[in-house]
Amino acid sequence: MNSALVSPRRPSAVNMLGYTALAGMETKTFLVYHWSVVVDLIKNLIATIVFVYFWRALYAQTPAIAGLSLDATLAYVLLARIFQPLGSFMLVSEFGHQMRQGALAHIQLRPLDIQLAYYVQNLASVVVALGRQLPVALVALLVFRLRLPTNPAVWGVFILSALLGRSVLFCFDYILGCVAFYTTSAWGLGFAIFGLSLFVGGGLVPLVMLPDWLRPIVLNTPFAQAFYVPISLLSGVAPLSQAPRLLLIQFLWLLGLAPLSRLVFAVAIRRVTVQGG
Amino acid sequence: MRRYVSLYASFFRMFLKSILEYRGSFVTLVAAVLLVQGASLATIWVVMSQVPSMNGWSLPEVLLIYGLLIFSRSCTQIFTEYIWNLGSMIRQGEFDRYLVRPINPLFHVLAAGLNFEGLVNFPLGLVLIIGTGRTLGLFASPFNIAYLVVAVASGAVIFFAVNLITATTAFWIIESMPVSAAVFENYLFAHYPLTIFPRGIQFLLTWIIPYGFASFYPAAFLMGRDVGALAWLGPLVAAVLLVLGYRFWLVGLNRYEGAGS
Repeated sequence: MNSALVSPRRPSAVNMLGYTALAGMETKTFLVYHWSVVVDLIKNLIATIVFVYFWRALYAQTPAIAGLSLDATLAYVLLARIFQPLGSFMLVSEFGHQMRQGALAHIQLRPLDIQLAYYVQNLASVVVALGRQLPVALVALLVFRLRLPTNPAVWGVFILSALLGRSVLFCFDYILGCVAFYTTSAWGLGFAIFGLSLFVGGGLVPLVMLPDWLRPIVLNTPFAQAFYVPISLLSGVAPLSQAPRLLLIQFLWLLGLAPLSRLVFAVAIRRVTVQGG
Repeated sequence: MRRYVSLYASFFRMFLKSILEYRGSFVTLVAAVLLVQGASLATIWVVMSQVPSMNGWSLPEVLLIYGLLIFSRSCTQIFTEYIWNLGSMIRQGEFDRYLVRPINPLFHVLAAGLNFEGLVNFPLGLVLIIGTGRTLGLFASPFNIAYLVVAVASGAVIFFAVNLITATTAFWIIESMPVSAAVFENYLFAHYPLTIFPRGIQFLLTWIIPYGFASFYPAAFLMGRDVGALAWLGPLVAAVLLVLGYRFWLVGLNRYEGAGS
């Protein structure tokens, strides 16, 4: 194994230009694949319409489900559609791709901290993806009359929670991505985790509606921390008074997963053999 | 015809061998498809167990619609959804090879690959239909069973014909995948009773992209709901769409001059 892979060069100082370039690259990649953007938008709009009418039909014969009114549920569901990229993850397929292309050596040789570099790329990609959600937001606001919170404190707490949650999910994603170093085909795993996260993250149903035996299990997953917690704070499903406790839990998750993800990567990367010049 | 069946059997064996070569990947993929479908089904189950009905439709009835849709789709998904790749075949010059071989180019495109997701949706849809059919007492009458078979066959043809039409646009625009994906995505509506959607969407799913005939209309008829003649139109819609699709394919094929310079 290449010695550079075992002991990658670490930056002596924060290389801001390098991180900025990585964030810019993410934006360019998005612009190149404009066709997929249009399709994603259509998919998202259709799913949003389906969700709204699905919930309206369910509330046709009941005033509340798990204590949530139709308006509260629709606010949650529409915000979940708009902020869907908060629950996305990508490193399983990214690491798998880098493995197959043999590009892992190049990444290792960059004068940047690998995890921090991926983190910045990840954040930039989520910001770009959130920008792409603008048409969905417009449909939610103009067609389905979504009312956004007016209290600046709610927005402040949401942004903080979204950032913490995203960081938690990134670390979890980083650990999962390491599976790619042990198998030749990791995309199936990525697809499987995506399927799991759809439900467990709260993207399909507000988690307060889950049965009593299932709710505590699901709430204690990185998916719920990354998606359900911020969306429930923004939509009012979780009141502002619960914010300190929820933010503390997210912080503790991050405190545990950040060093663990570094450790797992350091062990897993030793499996990699890059052949050729 | 016999020659094509024999040829397809050879292709099919080859694909199965390639699947079994990478068993780990296949098992992961099966788990993935089950988890994605499971997420939707779990959502329906969680919510519907707390409400009397979905605008008058009970949980087994909604699951029957869901099951009919994924089962109908899976019947053609396994064998024909590779046609979504027609655009990339044209772009990479691969399609030109199919034109010089002594077999029907459409058959060759369809036989060029299998859709693994369909292999999972097939048993899942079947389990849903059998499970809900038993709960709802559908199998007591042989007529209902025959009706279900015809409905599933019609739905499968509709899925194939829509895919054929959208993929054929590749002869004009090369990259047809986005068209296929955008049109196909409307099948999300057909997972639920169409009556919960506005009239515009009901019209779309009945007359423009008629996935409603693969799920909602047969289920509604079997549940004794009044959907009029639409309960019987599935086979006719499927036949018309198939003829239109194949004619459109021939028009596209005749104007094809290769994607190269």
